[in-house]
Parts: sequence; structure tokens; C-alpha cells
Amino acid sequence: MSWPTDAATLCQDRFGLEICEAEGPLVSADQALALATALKDELDFRFFVHVVSVHYPEVEAIAADEEKGIDAIIGTPDHTMVHYRLRRLANPNRSTDTFAFRIKVPTGESTPSLSGVWLGADWQEREQYDLVGTVFSGHPDLRRIMMPEDWPGHPLRRDYAIDTSHFPWR
Amino acid sequence: MSLHATPHPKDTVKWTTVGGVRVPVHLLIPNLPDPFMDIEDYEPDADLMVLNMGPQHPSTHGVLRVKLVLDGEVCVKVTPYLGYLHRGVEKLCEKLSYVQITPIVDKNDYVSPMMNELAINMAFEKLIGAEVPRRARYIRTICAEIQRLGSHLLWLGTFGLDMGGAIGGGGSIFMHTFRERELLLDLFEDLTGCRFHYNTHTVGGNRHDIPAGWAAKATQVLAVISKRCIEYEDFVRGNKVFQARTVGVGIIDPVLAIDLGISGPVLRASGVDVDLRRDQPYAAYDEIAVNVATDPGGDCFSRYVVRVDEMRESIRIATELLAGVPEGPICSLKPVKLPGAVKAKHGQGVYSSIESPRGELGTFVVGNTVRRQSAIPYRCKIRSPSMHLLQLLPYICPGNNISDIIVTLGSLDPIMGEVDR
Amino acid sequence: MGVDQSNQNFEHPLFEYMEKMPGLDLAMTTADKILSWGSRNSMFVFPMATSCCGIEFMAAACGRFDLDRIGTIARGTPRQCDVMVIAGTITVKMAPRVKKLWDMMPEPKWAIAMGSCAISGDFYRDIYSVVPGVDTFMPVDVYVPGCPPNPDHLLEGFRRLQDKIKAKRAGEWVEPETRPVSGMQMPSVPRYGTDRDPAYDQAQLMATQNMGLGGELLAAGVTLPQPAPQPVQSGEGGDS
Repeated sequence: MSWPTDAATLCQDRFGLEICEAEGPLVSADQALALATALKDELDFRFFVHVVSVHYPEVEAIAADEEKGIDAIIGTPDHTMVHYRLRRLANPNRSTDTFAFRIKVPTGESTPSLSGVWLGADWQEREQYDLVGTVFSGHPDLRRIMMPEDWPGHPLRRDYAIDTSHFPWR
Repeated sequence: MSLHATPHPKDTVKWTTVGGVRVPVHLLIPNLPDPFMDIEDYEPDADLMVLNMGPQHPSTHGVLRVKLVLDGEVCVKVTPYLGYLHRGVEKLCEKLSYVQITPIVDKNDYVSPMMNELAINMAFEKLIGAEVPRRARYIRTICAEIQRLGSHLLWLGTFGLDMGGAIGGGGSIFMHTFRERELLLDLFEDLTGCRFHYNTHTVGGNRHDIPAGWAAKATQVLAVISKRCIEYEDFVRGNKVFQARTVGVGIIDPVLAIDLGISGPVLRASGVDVDLRRDQPYAAYDEIAVNVATDPGGDCFSRYVVRVDEMRESIRIATELLAGVPEGPICSLKPVKLPGAVKAKHGQGVYSSIESPRGELGTFVVGNTVRRQSAIPYRCKIRSPSMHLLQLLPYICPGNNISDIIVTLGSLDPIMGEVDR
Repeated sequence: MGVDQSNQNFEHPLFEYMEKMPGLDLAMTTADKILSWGSRNSMFVFPMATSCCGIEFMAAACGRFDLDRIGTIARGTPRQCDVMVIAGTITVKMAPRVKKLWDMMPEPKWAIAMGSCAISGDFYRDIYSVVPGVDTFMPVDVYVPGCPPNPDHLLEGFRRLQDKIKAKRAGEWVEPETRPVSGMQMPSVPRYGTDRDPAYDQAQLMATQNMGLGGELLAAGVTLPQPAPQPVQSGEGGDS
């Protein structure tokens, strides 16, 4: 995967970010809104593809030999990684460049909502809040979208049991 | 195909460029409704009524609940509520191995199940680094196009129901399209053994090869449906009642649509010429030219026109590919006997997308880095186009009558299994 | 609540008057036969279609299989219907609605669970948000297995329901259908029957009545008796 050069240059020069070849740059929560606005307004990344929160629980020391060879960093605190992905539509030459960036959000903190930049992020951010528990600050309507309003917990966190019972329906 | 004059002549449209995209000028709406409007701010004298439509309503295409705030017959504010079919597919994907997930995602978009299999397996192949043989790519493309045809046929039938009701005359087109859809389901039954949920794609290729005589039968069926499409055009496109219900109803601003993440036929019906089959070829689309159908109307009638054009295009692509299916293996990996046989090599997120009948259907997969669980994805997110389609409702419904809202909702063609997952 | 209504014979309101009059046994039997003939050959179906099985229900209603030829007609309102076809997965968010719609239907009424999801939850039976079978909160007369069942299987299910209606009208004992289980784990909620904790029935009824109020019921201080978690039977399914 190679990212579009103008977006990579923008990230490196203006925001001083290091581009990861596979997953895009790692952006701090403070810079996210400025980067998103620049990407949309200056580089025409107008099509919102997705936002995904991935929950990483705290990695404790792994003793067993058979777990060797993993690239999880021991001692990482509990956090979610929020991946954003955008697309640039251009009719005359019909190119579809994609660009991705990610934000690391420690548990208990929040990340700025980008639904003001791309309207399409509105429900997807609500979904990630509902299922993973990432808080998007500044979201106009941050309610649960999939689960009932009084549902306890966030089902897609790694520590949530898949067969959690719910009285009286299951 | 000009049995009847189309209400949107293409040569008189003026175009402009917004954000690098060429869009028709007359569709740009200056003042969009505010979906987060506090209803207290509306006219204090108005006698407002709140009406709940769904979750069990014949015209909501499943279990969508829409809360309408009405001023008489005219809608003021729309709030969709989702989650009545949330089946935890993404959580289930974190418990199953890569080869076991395919039958699960079949049930997401239950109108074109093979598209889900294709989307998720393409992401897994990208993560694992598996090649797909040329014959498998051809079979995938043929199946995808026939699925698109079947999905649009079902849409046309249910769109008739939305407008006329089963008694009011909408049932005719419904009966016709389902007759044709049965022919397509028979084709898939011959190919995979199932009518509906196929489980035929796997990581690295396909499970089922084309049986003897299938290509000839498929070509024949497609030729039959191609003739029937002309019949539909004959009694739908020129129908005065149909035009009265659809022309000028539910107009979608292309700039708003791009901002909301709308893709597929709905975006193309607003004049934006985007199609992942052509712009970002996957499977065997790099070996065949795809003519993208667009229409500058932006209303429900344009969406009908675009979908019918796509049906014809699907028939053409499938017929051409059926004539030249190459010989060779259908799967690059050995037949999998153990669910843990296919393993990911790294834990980075990988995204892959296809053009489903409803738009960009993508899958974001993160591989598991713990060695013992390397055959299980760490996180699997399905980017469903239908969810973005429903986001349009708060923007395009205010100002319309209830009956127009039902037609607009039907023309978007959302599938709730894919929205809620 | 808590009573297995599917095993009770439906009695016509005129029954007791007819019983008092002499020599009407024969007429009564004849009338019962006519009523039975009528109700089994003109079934008004309420399609509770939530997902994939709803598409196959539509296919069954169309020209090739033609559900109408055995006398069914699909209606959009529960108040006119006497057969509910639960076609698709029922989630915990949808379950109160299904129960409410079922309670809206007038007696006599029957239910068909179409597809594995409605029968047992199938793939999703372990998932936090899916009800493991609709028979955990409402009675089911006929189970039509399949994922989704072919339309001809659904037709066969309607035929079985017709036989059941006929036998019940004649006063015969009808063995209740059992949920088709094949090496699967049983759900955490015991199914509708005698071995069921009545606390579930009470809570489901209250949840249905208070639908749409969210957590206000619990916030108002109403404490519901929590049943002891059932020991999960060791099936062969595991976490397949």
C-alpha cells in the first residue's frame, strides 16, 4: 500500500508525522481535527470510508515460550486505536486514492469527533462508541445506536464475554 | 433503450466541479435541513404529531424504526433508530477462524450474500498474502454480477410494493421480478447446492467449480432475463403513475452524498461517475470494460434508471465472461481440513472493498499477533453501504409527504441485516 | 402467562349454550368440523419478517411456490391475523416488540418458527444480543428448520399446522412439537414449558408493558427477581 504523495507530504511537513507504510500516520488527538480539515479542504479527501476502534487490553508479561514471536509490546496500557480511512474521488481521471490515519486513545480519555468535517462519520462514530466504548468529544449526538439505551458495557471490547446473558430475554 | 422518453434529458444539464468531482449544478441544494434540530425551535403554533414507523412495518424493508415529526401530512424531522437486527457478527468474527467466517457474513446482506463473501475473503487474502487463480477470479466475477442482477430484481419488485401496495397494483412487478429471480437462484443451486446462503468463496479461491453445462445454462437464463428487462421498461418507465410518484421525489445533493459516504447506484443517480469496479479493479474486472451507468436526475426515477441500466450491464459482463472462463485450479491453497490451517502473518489493519449492489462494501481486518490465535482475526469491521444510505433520511425527508418518504426509503434500497450486522 | 397455551383446545363462545340444549351433540360436532375446515383453509398470516427468512417468505408468496393456493393471505397488521410466521433472527431489542405483536393477535392463534435463528438462534445463539429461540418467550406450534428453509419446506410447515388445527378441533391430543436440536447447546433461558422459572414470564410481561421506557422501570425501584443461572448442558457444539 502506497499512500498519495501529496497527503504524505502534508503529514510530514506540516504536522511532523511519521508515515507507517501499512496503516498510515499515527496522529495525536490534538492534531486530528486540524489534519482532517486540511485533508478535506486542501486535498479533496471528501469521501469518508470508515472509522474503526480496535481495543487493546493491557498486555501483561507473557511467560510462556510458545507465545514468542509476537509483536505486541509488553506493558502497553489499556487503549483503543481509532483508524480513519478516507477516499478522494476525482471524475476526470477517475482515480480513487485512499488515505488512512490512526489515533491512539488511552482508556478514560477521548478523541475529537470528526463528524463535523465529514458528515458520514456521524453514525460510524456512534457505532464505535456503542460497541467499543471510545468517546468522541464534540459529537453532536453521541448516543448508543445498536444496543438498547440501558445496555451495560461495550460488547466489542476484548474483555466482554460473547455470551453475556441479558435478563429476561436471554 | 428508448421505448419512452426519459424525464431527465442528459444534454441540457450544466455541470460544475466541487472538490475535484464533476456534479450537476441543478442538484446542489443551498440550505440543508438540520438533522439535530430541536423540535421546540419549530413554529410554536404548529400542531405537531409524532409518528413511529416500524420496527415492524411492511415498507421499512426489515426492522428499521423511523420516528417522524409531522406537521399535518408534511414531515418536519426524521430520526432513524437502528439496532433491531444487531447480531454481533463482528464479535463472532473474533471467535472464529478465517475459513469459518464466510458462512457467517453471508447473512449480513441477505439479498446478495455472495458479495459479502467476496468482500471479506478479499480482505483476508490481502492480510494473509494469498493469491487467487485466474479461473477463481472469473467465477467470482460472474457470480458477483449475477448476484447484482438478482439484488436489483428484488429491489425493483419491492419498490413496486412500496409504491402501490400488494393490492394497489404494485404487486404485478413484484411477481414478475421474483419469477426471474427464481431462475437465478436455480443457477446458484446448481453451482453451490444452496438457494440462498452459499458459503462458496474461501480464502484463496472458491470451493465449488462450475459444473458441466452450467455456462450454457447461465447464458441462456441471462438471455431470457435480458428480454424480460425490456418488458419491465415497457410497463414501468413510461407509466404515468410511476413517473408521478418518482420524478422529483427525494432529490439527493451529490456533494452532501459524498460527504455522507454514500456510494453505489444512489451516488451515480446524482450524476457522480464513480464505480469501484472500474476505478479500483478487483477480481476479473481488470480484464473487462465496465460501462458505468449514471443519471443526472438525482431523484427516485434516476435511481430506477441507473439500476435498470446496471442490470443490463451485469447481464452483458456475465455473458461475456461466461464465454471465456479460463482453465486451471479454483483455489491457490490446499483444500482446508482444519479451521486453523489458514494463518495471518502480521497484526496490521488491512482494508479491502468491493462495489456491492448498494455501494462500497469493505472489510477492515486486524490480524492476531498471539501465535496460538493466529488463525483468528483480532478485529473485523464491515463497512456497510446501507448504513450510510440511511444517514440520508434526516437530510432528504423533511418537507415531503409520508407517502413520498416511503418511496424515497424504498429507492435507497437499504438492507437492515447489513446496517445492524 | 406461564401456561402452555398451545396445548389447550379453543372453545367457541357458544359452546356452553349448545351443550345445554338437548340433541345438539351432532350439530355441535358438525359445527366444529365446519369451523375447523374454515380456520385451517383460510389462514391470515402475519409475516414477522426480520431478516433472510423474510426474503424466502416473499419468494414463497410469489408465483412459483404460491402460498396463496393453500388459503393463506399475508396481512400487515396483527389484529386481523391468526398465524404468525417468525422469519428471522430476534434480538433482545426486538423481542419485546415481537411479544407485543403476538399479544395483539386475537385467539385462536398459531405461531410458526421459520429458520434456525427463530428456532434456536443458530450461529448467533451465543451472541450477547440474540434471543436463543423465540420459544423462550412465546409458544410455538410448528418449527420449520433450515437456514433459510426452502419455500417448499415452509409450505410443508403450513400443511403440518393445518393437520394440527384439524386434530385439535376434533378434540384429539396433539403431541407438541419439540425444537429440533442436533448436538447444540441449550439456551441459557429454558424454553416455554413446565421447567421454566416464572420470574422470566413476569419480567417479560413487565418489559413488554413498559416498552419504550428504557431503564425507567428499574430506576423507579421495581426489583425483578433474578433467576439462578442455569447450568449449561455440555453439548458437542462447544464454541463452534
